[in-house]
Amino acid sequence: MSFIDEVYRVALSDLYYLRRNILPLLATSLITPLLYLVAFGYGLGNGVVMEGVSYIAFVIPGVVSLTTLSSSFTTISNKLMVQKRFYESFDEMMLCPISKSSIIFGKTILGIIKGMMCGSILLALGFLMTDDLHITVGLVACMLLSCVVFSLLGVAAGMIVSDLPRMNLFNSFVILPMTFLCGTMFSLNALPEVVKVIIDLLPLTQTSACIRASALGWEFPWLHMVLLVAYGALFYLLALWSLRKSN
Amino acid sequence: MSEDIIVAKGITVRYGDFTAVDDLSVNVRKGEIYGFLGPNGAGKTTTAKVLATMMTPTAGTIVIGGHDTSRNPREARQLVGVVQQHIAVDKDISVRENIIVRAMLHKVPRRLIEERMAELCEIIGLTPYMDKTVQQLSGGWKRKLAIVCALIHDPEILFLDEPTAGLDTQSRHMLWDMVRVLNRRGTTVFITTHYMDEAESLCDRVSIITHGRLTDTGTPKELCDRLGRFTVEYDGEDGRRQYRFFDSREEAKTFFDTVEEMNGLIRGTHLEDVFLEETGRTNVKALEKALRI
Repeated sequence: MSFIDEVYRVALSDLYYLRRNILPLLATSLITPLLYLVAFGYGLGNGVVMEGVSYIAFVIPGVVSLTTLSSSFTTISNKLMVQKRFYESFDEMMLCPISKSSIIFGKTILGIIKGMMCGSILLALGFLMTDDLHITVGLVACMLLSCVVFSLLGVAAGMIVSDLPRMNLFNSFVILPMTFLCGTMFSLNALPEVVKVIIDLLPLTQTSACIRASALGWEFPWLHMVLLVAYGALFYLLALWSLRKSN
Repeated sequence: MSEDIIVAKGITVRYGDFTAVDDLSVNVRKGEIYGFLGPNGAGKTTTAKVLATMMTPTAGTIVIGGHDTSRNPREARQLVGVVQQHIAVDKDISVRENIIVRAMLHKVPRRLIEERMAELCEIIGLTPYMDKTVQQLSGGWKRKLAIVCALIHDPEILFLDEPTAGLDTQSRHMLWDMVRVLNRRGTTVFITTHYMDEAESLCDRVSIITHGRLTDTGTPKELCDRLGRFTVEYDGEDGRRQYRFFDSREEAKTFFDTVEEMNGLIRGTHLEDVFLEETGRTNVKALEKALRI
């Protein structure tokens, strides 16, 4: 109980920020995935069948997956960097009697909420576009897990990366390639075996496999789920290490 | 004699080969306003950060209110409120929200938050600005918000790191008044500054730091008396301003008579004289070279 209370205390400033800026925050997070849906779903993929379903049904879970990544990660890493480097309010938080785990999870809350909101809006739009998608508890749980994992990555990156140019570098060379390559827009079966093995290991691949299986009623890929949880643990440990180092 | 609320011994901070703070010991008495003076880069902010538990020193021990900061950092931190040189508040939320956030982080009981916020904002004059975002405030009001945030958990010690840097005269005086009011309420204040008028006006005791080492400690008057109560200021033979210090007006007068034709004056010694004597006056030759005189 005390842990949840501390997490709420840490998240409070971000929640105030979200309340004040909810419309612009959602709009900026949704515009890119909506364009992907239109361009890839209706444009390039019109009439294409992928792994036994229409391309639009295939691509919607992928776009939801990449949105959970981009919304959660970008929101958290940028906010944390601003609070650390420009506002310096993060240093003040370190002076408060709050455990480091509470700080890490408290800082993920904004990303989780924003990722879930954007993902839900896209899913709702997806249901209007195709009949092949199913809402299940498993689907919501997978989205939630994805938002937690990528928010933890955002905290770790916000702590470790020293300035905005380097954060942009990380976005360009790690986050952006993941959004396209990790089974979000096309089936990984089309890739050469060596490339497929490497991409299979990336966290967004686990997310898109879990979300797609849940949304389309396919057999659930438990191994991917375990790997995603392992990534979450790894990102948490990275954030903890950097927090201890900075203290 | 009042008890020491901060006892720091042998504080050393090194960054690689560079020693920012060198074997420094400080005692701050409960209820006093303690000034930490030094030129830019002397180690004031680093020392303040170490004493406020924001940084771990390379060596040395710090005890705050009886709590060793290396063994009981949480207990020590609860006694401390910090206002950093850069105003450390979230700029994109309101004044009220910033204060509530800080109170929640310090685990102030929810029923007390509104009451304390109202009291502090009244003292500091922030009440009319509660629903403005921080971005809408001027520098002086942002600084005041930072002070309210630092005090919301009712700490015994307030650290102010160059609190009036960049403020206009009215804002500086308002801040000084506010520091005095807080001090009268029982808050011990540790203030770093390089404004001598600020130190002279506010502080019960001051220490001077230069190149990471403490050179002198005492009340402003004690430091001036130690240097000499009277100063003769005159133009030297090379045209540069010279300063000589004397314990009595008579001694000063006797000396002054010998340099009367050199455009001089006798005056009381100021803290600024002590500061400049201990930290070094401007390197005139370097200045002349730079200006190519």
